[in-house]
Amino acid sequence: MKGNLGEKLQSLPKPILYLILILATSIPLFFPTEVPNEPVESTKDFYATLMALPEGSKVLLMSDWTGSTRGESKGAFRSIFKILIRRKAKVAIYSAADPQAPRVAQDAINELNMERKRKNLPTFDRWNDWVNIGYFPNAEAAINGIANDLKGAFGGRKDFPPNSPPRDVFQSPVLQGVTKVEDFPLMLVITASKTSNFAVERVSGRTPLAFAVTGVMVPETQVFYQSKQIVGYCGGLKGVYDLEQLMESGVNFPDKATAKIKSDKLGTIEGFPDPDNKGQGTRYYPTLHYALALMIIMIILGNVGMFLAKRGDKS
Amino acid sequence: MRITAGVIATIGLYSVLWKENKFYRFFEHVFLGLAAGWTMVALWTETLKANWWDKMVGTPAETGAAATNGMFAYALLIPFGLMGYFVFSKKHNWISRIPIGIILGLWSGQQVQVWWNTYGPQIDATLKPILPTTWDSLIVPSTNGLTPEQLSQVQSQIYFSQAVNNFLFTLTVVSVLSYFLFSFEVKSKAVKGINTMGRYLLMIGFGAIFGSTVMMRFTLLIDRMHFIWIEWLRDGVFPMISGR
Repeated sequence: MKGNLGEKLQSLPKPILYLILILATSIPLFFPTEVPNEPVESTKDFYATLMALPEGSKVLLMSDWTGSTRGESKGAFRSIFKILIRRKAKVAIYSAADPQAPRVAQDAINELNMERKRKNLPTFDRWNDWVNIGYFPNAEAAINGIANDLKGAFGGRKDFPPNSPPRDVFQSPVLQGVTKVEDFPLMLVITASKTSNFAVERVSGRTPLAFAVTGVMVPETQVFYQSKQIVGYCGGLKGVYDLEQLMESGVNFPDKATAKIKSDKLGTIEGFPDPDNKGQGTRYYPTLHYALALMIIMIILGNVGMFLAKRGDKS
Repeated sequence: MRITAGVIATIGLYSVLWKENKFYRFFEHVFLGLAAGWTMVALWTETLKANWWDKMVGTPAETGAAATNGMFAYALLIPFGLMGYFVFSKKHNWISRIPIGIILGLWSGQQVQVWWNTYGPQIDATLKPILPTTWDSLIVPSTNGLTPEQLSQVQSQIYFSQAVNNFLFTLTVVSVLSYFLFSFEVKSKAVKGINTMGRYLLMIGFGAIFGSTVMMRFTLLIDRMHFIWIEWLRDGVFPMISGR
């Protein structure tokens, strides 16, 4: 690396930068810390919506994430399911973005069930508590079909009852009595792709929508939230961290004066303290700060380098 | 074993950061092969079989469900679908335009409703009051200990701070829209000023989007690092070595 300091700063070898980044995103994982946090309004509304579901409600869930966004989406998926299990909801899951998504969702629920088994808690059973309706190619057409003719769209789809060959999903307790999308008091979309937009285009106004989206989708999803097209959303890792804190502390709970998380808009929403509430959000969020700090330092160094190099050229 | 295979694949794919190498290429091909194979099987088992084959040939009676008759009209979809493959023929590629045209026609017909569903509520939400309706307080007062009636009274007012926010919001919308006035030459200095402001506000917006993107990418890396160091090494390998 020849040249003055400015040029050197601008031409740090990429492998060294990657190594520093890997260290910055690895070392903090071994030293868990707490980051002060105030959940954003959108996540509070998201949590409030889930907690307001009457016990036994039927929820339609479009699960459109896979291993590529596991860092964000899996944390959201797990937190949402912990709440849905607590509300004794019955969940119909389908995917429209990726053929791998139904299997990924199924694995995540199995993982939750294994944890519940270890704690001697009742499991969230396939067929009785949730059904996997499967993958639908062409997300836009699929969501249009579900919005206008749910029976036709899900007709012929099968899932596995316990110890039994596959049967029509409409025979499961989850979809009994359901004939149209309005029969679900809530549609959830956990997505890393454009399928959330399709849900707004085709389903908004028919049943309340709530999203869990990746960080990159937050700006576009905020628009839907501000115009009240969706009732709430959980955005990126910050959203997952917010959700985990809300599960732990509730909102205005036990009362507004002593509550950890307050809201003028919402009433009292109880939390359910449990060490297991602290999941992926709590584990990754502090590390994200180290990574962001590193990036800010690198940007400053790069700019200082450019400034010094320009000054060197002039002199 | 499963987690160890995942760790080796992760390291293989990240090895491209050092330089292009055969280790990386191998795992890239494994990944693409698995994804393509999975997609083909899923398309049959989860889509074509349920939505087309079973409806065409019918299904036998099963627990709780009567047998269904086949509808052989579904077979007509085969030549129709195959017409799409003529896109690869130089001589007959016009045939592929027939199914594409029908799909486009169906799609276009729905767009009026889709557009209104998407943007109607957003246009409505953009129309915000920019004048305060009360001067009792400059900011929204605390609602601690208020009765529901008092709360709804507070919420029905526009306070000065809200009016300022709404004004900034409206100014942003107008200035950004003015940036896209390409139909005629902008000569007025005032409009040019608003136009420039729109450009800067757009850049701030793009910066926020870029920031979110970076955060997402970092989170994905953190997840992979957690997978390697915590799930595999700390919780998998170390206990196995130490016999715990």
